[in-house]
Amino acid sequence: MIEAKGISKFFSVVNDDRTAEGFTALNSVSLRIESGSFVSLLGPSGCGKSTFLEILAGLQAPSDGQVWIDDKLVLEPLPATRREMEEYRKKYRFLSPIANSLFRDNPKHDIAMIFQDYAVFPWMTARQNVLFTLKLRGVQKSEREGAAADYLRLVGLSGSENKYPSQLSGGMRQRLALARALSVEPRIILMDEPFAAVDALTRERLQEDLLRLWQETKKTIVLVTHDVDEAVYLSDEVVVFSPLPGSIRNKVAVDIPRPRRRSSSEIREIKERLLAMYKYDTIHESDYSI
Amino acid sequence: MSVDSIIRDSATSRRGLRWWNLVVRELVVFLRTSFGSVFSREFLTVLIPLLILWEVLPRLGVVPRTLVPPPSAVVVTFRDMVVDLNMAEHLTSSAIRFTSGFLLALVTAFPIGVLMGWNLFIRKHALPLFQILAPVPPPAWVPITIILFGVGLPMQIFLIFLGVFYPILFNTYQGIKETDPRYLASARVFGASEFTLITRVYIWHALGSVIMGIKIGIALGLIMLVIAEMYGGRSGLGWLLLEAKEYFQIDRMVVCMVLLGFIGWFLIEVMKYIELKLAVWRIGR
Repeated sequence: MIEAKGISKFFSVVNDDRTAEGFTALNSVSLRIESGSFVSLLGPSGCGKSTFLEILAGLQAPSDGQVWIDDKLVLEPLPATRREMEEYRKKYRFLSPIANSLFRDNPKHDIAMIFQDYAVFPWMTARQNVLFTLKLRGVQKSEREGAAADYLRLVGLSGSENKYPSQLSGGMRQRLALARALSVEPRIILMDEPFAAVDALTRERLQEDLLRLWQETKKTIVLVTHDVDEAVYLSDEVVVFSPLPGSIRNKVAVDIPRPRRRSSSEIREIKERLLAMYKYDTIHESDYSI
Repeated sequence: MSVDSIIRDSATSRRGLRWWNLVVRELVVFLRTSFGSVFSREFLTVLIPLLILWEVLPRLGVVPRTLVPPPSAVVVTFRDMVVDLNMAEHLTSSAIRFTSGFLLALVTAFPIGVLMGWNLFIRKHALPLFQILAPVPPPAWVPITIILFGVGLPMQIFLIFLGVFYPILFNTYQGIKETDPRYLASARVFGASEFTLITRVYIWHALGSVIMGIKIGIALGLIMLVIAEMYGGRSGLGWLLLEAKEYFQIDRMVVCMVLLGFIGWFLIEVMKYIELKLAVWRIGR
């Protein structure tokens, strides 16, 4: 279970005329995601949903609030007072708070993350990419080869094991990222607009594959997207973010039994509701700004 | 002879053959990428006229022959130098100096560069020192080095080290520092320790700029080799060059210069080949 309590994130931005300005990327976002559910975070670009995902993954520290994953704190929030700041500085003088330990490979929270531009390592072949994450998880050396082949087969990449990511198509690279994420056997998979950069047909196939894998393995999946169709078709619950400052505008449960049909009337109905909300936000954007 | 041993023999000989084939194949690749670009049809149309011009102009007396020896004379001089001056010995001593200075710089500059690029704490403590020291031109170190080390191998190695050190250091540092944070983030989420990040992510991402630094280092190292041998030493290409100047033997100077040019070019081609082999993944792009 993921529990985000009052997450806020402030940045300072330097304007063109060299004045600094505070910018609220997230304003007190609280969210509870049950184990085994498929949740989409939906919103226009720049509404802080990717930032929120990175905070969940422990890749950024929140300015305020806490994230708990299975009752374990992900990252301590940034210091607020001068005194706290000094202690924080002293504590993280050498290694930044998001770093793992110096020599020991050890995942902190059973999370895997899939990035928008895949972030598979271009200097490793498909097989080596999966072997690398298997090694991080601590799988015995003798078992790694077999396991890597299994995960690559699971996402339909057998036959391309020895290709480098630059030789793979966008969809195959995304599959590789998925295989790499699955290979650590995480309980939670965070996905940051995973299907944004592939063509429509490939996207549909990848979505089907993702659903199949989710139903087989029952992992928690948190999907960030700006695609309403995708969010409604895939998830149990759609969390709608609104921009300026980023906050949760609404939560819509999608109680449609699976397997779903993309063109069914229930799906269309929910989609229209969400689109109306979305449109309202974009038109009345200025109302939200401070 | 039993059947088994025959099979085993043929297997080992086949493996031996395969190993041998691999070496030959790699050698062909290297020769094709290095000498291939010099002896390509396009470049030969430039190179041959230039050589003819160099040969003909002094012979016709357009330029004084005493000042510009034609290539044929340079070749003859080179043969004479090999026979009379024990050229092999000079080349070996230059090679020993250069290799030890270069390796010393590589094994110090590369780790320091990696550490400075990786960690802010280390960077803040170490980088300013190198930024202050680096702008001092390496030849400016010659007088103090001679006083400190005396004339000899340590002084020469130190001067070459100074030439090679900073380019490798700064290029490594820059490459490591500019590692794409997305790759780091993705490895961190999977639980990679900082050490794993360095060995599996940072270094590979910075490979291109590290090799660039080594190439610049080779060029500067050769400069420092000549300077070091000119100021202190009784052997080596730099010393031969200086000796030729004393006796006004322009043909010998040209031989030394051509040799130095060839060595520099060859070493850089070796680096290109290593880059090609280590960065196979870039070929597809």
